[in-house]
Amino acid sequence: MRFQDAAPDARAVVYAGIQAEPLVARAAALLADAGPDQRVLARAAMNGMSTDAATWQAMAPTLFGDAAAGRPGPDGDRARSEAILAAALEVAERGEQVRSQVRGAIVESLTAILAARRRGATGDSAIRRERRILFDGVRAEIHPYDVTVETPGAEEALDCKWGARGISADVLHQLDDARTHAADEDVDLTVTLVVFDARRSCDVRLARETAPRSATRFVTIETLDDLAGDRIAGAER
Amino acid sequence: MALDPARDARLTGLTIAAVLDAARPAYDRLLERAEEVEDEWSYDNDLAEAWRTRLDEVDTARGGDPAGPELMAAVDALGREADAIDDPHRAIDWLSTFPQLLLVALGERP
Repeated sequence: MRFQDAAPDARAVVYAGIQAEPLVARAAALLADAGPDQRVLARAAMNGMSTDAATWQAMAPTLFGDAAAGRPGPDGDRARSEAILAAALEVAERGEQVRSQVRGAIVESLTAILAARRRGATGDSAIRRERRILFDGVRAEIHPYDVTVETPGAEEALDCKWGARGISADVLHQLDDARTHAADEDVDLTVTLVVFDARRSCDVRLARETAPRSATRFVTIETLDDLAGDRIAGAER
Repeated sequence: MALDPARDARLTGLTIAAVLDAARPAYDRLLERAEEVEDEWSYDNDLAEAWRTRLDEVDTARGGDPAGPELMAAVDALGREADAIDDPHRAIDWLSTFPQLLLVALGERP
């Protein structure tokens, strides 16, 4: 099994430009250290209609009201909440197609940041983006993985989705096929689907899918910080 | 002077149940818009049902608790935001987003 850069086709070139936008890096960095409520608010604002900060602050009294002051952790940090909301609204102010791409790039960048924090991930060099995985005697998948962890002995392929609706049979099959092919080469490849949406919504989507997923790790908006923890091999959780 | 949500709630009689009741019509309208995507009709309704169940759990557990006026303001802002969504695909996404925001406002985990 080996990792390889994806072919630099037209889509990849355009998308690389999106990924390189400073707004993507700033939003992802803020979200990496955000609390769960701040992440929910950011998600909503990035796909909302209003770009008026006061409107969103009214929707989240536990982040911006008096109740926020006594809260422990990032969700009690009003300045951080304001910075996260400001970044999210900058995304929302982009044109419809571009903001969809920017949102996706933010989730991927957030995933890469958190994965790079795990013990044994030998710095950013082990965390790569837009990589394919090649197996002996197996035709290569066309679509690269959004994020890969290429630390020897702790390899992982991660795909990222903005919402539960992005969960599809194709995505589940590709991840499970990669794990299976890796196992054929005696490599314990962890496969992970990161969905920037609530687990409850993901469960509804997954209930409609019959594609294999029992060995796929699911990370949702509530459990994003698990990406920074040690690798957990195997089964759905 | 800092607001005292419990005191304000006693004055107004506002409860968590009333806040949830105020949120439900906007969620119903959101579902109607999402249903315009015919291929996702069943998914939309399953998704809405899953979240309504979660909101009902909160109603059962805390419905009689007092609610501060900021919660009704949050529901009002949330409802107006949801009503502004005219794209049915975004409405599908918001079938998940809306209840998450409401639960966060109520101090609950989704």
